[in-house]
Amino acid sequence: MGVIHDNTSRRKFLSNAFMTFGLSFGLGALFVRFGQFITPDRKEKMTAKVLIGNLAEIPENAATPLEISGNKILVVRSEDGFNAFSRRCTDLGCLVSWEPAKQQFICPCHQGVYDKNGKNIAGPPPRPLDRFEVVAKGENVYIRLKA
Amino acid sequence: MAAGIEHAETKPLKGRIIDLIQEDVPDHLYSWPYTLGAIPLVLFGILLVTGILMTFYYIPYPDRAYESVREITYSIYLGWFIRGMHKLAVHLMILSLLFHITRVFITRAYKEGGEVKWLLGAGIFFTALAFGFTGYALVYDNISYWGMIVVTNMAGELPIIGKTLLLLLRGGEDVTEITLLRLYDLHTKLLPFLIITLLLSHILAVRFFGFAKLGTDLKSVPTQGMHKFFPEHAMEVGLISICLLIFIIDITMLFPPQLGSPANMQEVASNVSPPWYFSAVYKWITIAPRNAALFGVLFFSAIFFAYPYVDRFLTKRGANMQRINIAVGAAAVIVFVILTLWEIVL
Ligand code: FES
Repeated sequence: MGVIHDNTSRRKFLSNAFMTFGLSFGLGALFVRFGQFITPDRKEKMTAKVLIGNLAEIPENAATPLEISGNKILVVRSEDGFNAFSRRCTDLGCLVSWEPAKQQFICPCHQGVYDKNGKNIAGPPPRPLDRFEVVAKGENVYIRLKA
Repeated sequence: MAAGIEHAETKPLKGRIIDLIQEDVPDHLYSWPYTLGAIPLVLFGILLVTGILMTFYYIPYPDRAYESVREITYSIYLGWFIRGMHKLAVHLMILSLLFHITRVFITRAYKEGGEVKWLLGAGIFFTALAFGFTGYALVYDNISYWGMIVVTNMAGELPIIGKTLLLLLRGGEDVTEITLLRLYDLHTKLLPFLIITLLLSHILAVRFFGFAKLGTDLKSVPTQGMHKFFPEHAMEVGLISICLLIFIIDITMLFPPQLGSPANMQEVASNVSPPWYFSAVYKWITIAPRNAALFGVLFFSAIFFAYPYVDRFLTKRGANMQRINIAVGAAAVIVFVILTLWEIVL
């Protein structure tokens, strides 16, 4: 093909290509930076042990709601000991509440149901409620938080 | 092209403007289904004005947002009226967009140059939905607070982009004051910019590619003849706008806007439910398995966007798209109505 006479148009093409590449690279890098600016950092998880009360204070066969640094928690005390569940529904993040009559956790958003061990038994929730470890030391009860 | 330039040079500016506004438009625009594009535009104007007015009082901070909406609704002079018009106009705008889309879909008006119009229009529709969600969250009563949590979580469930989208919307892992500020910025700055750009392009595209030519198979519509954009068409749109305005004012006065109880982070509202235009999707993700449901929504949106190209593809293979579109359109409307009623009534 007779490309020899085509030099000017080829030069034009190349310079256009360089321009386009340069501009899009430059602007692209700028927008990536803008994107990073509005994307928040993920917080590092750290664990902490928090005192939640004294054995006698926590009522039996009932759920005590707590809020520790943004974690909404239900502490359920039954015959077999303490359990601490996150109230955040594993479906879409509504708050579950404890239904003492049925001994179940109910989520009002899409009628998710969990049994008293936090296992998802009905509705859309894909997995059991998140749990927090409970440690009883003498008279004091602690919760281990991953916040 | 050269002829065009010559022509433009010989004609004074005034003459060219007169040409533009007196441009002939096809007679079928007299028929009401073809005015459905003008209606959302008029409503958008109302939304813009009332929305700007409310930004003079609204405070986008969790402790203050609800109170400021309350002030607007109950104490500021005519606040209830402005808020009521804004609220009603959103519902009507999305409703009329749905009608407009259905009309375009059934008459296949997206053919022959209409693809661009369709793509821009689809963009407008999704932007309008984003407006709906962000505006709903700004009210910050209990239902809207939990609605905001559920919807942002839902965005977070999306495949691949979900997590990033969630962080971007919330400005962190959790819903905080940053979240409200972001939704506020979206609602009052980014989305208006986006929708105005899209609207202008959509209207320019209509002027540039012309109004859709109708096939002769739609008998009920006058397809012959032309009339002038100004005054005939402009008068018709003006009449529609006045009727709309009167309707909105009346309904707002008869049903002044209300406000639920304030957001309660400790107790979920018992009736968490999105506005009606999200009800169908909300019901759908509740009854279908979660991931399949979300993929379904994404898939449906993609097909919706690319429909003119799907049409072209199928037409080349000899499908009778006129029939198919009527069937698909009817099915979509029926499913939408059933899911919506199921969510709202039951
Ligand atoms: S958020 Fe709990 S069931 Fe959907």
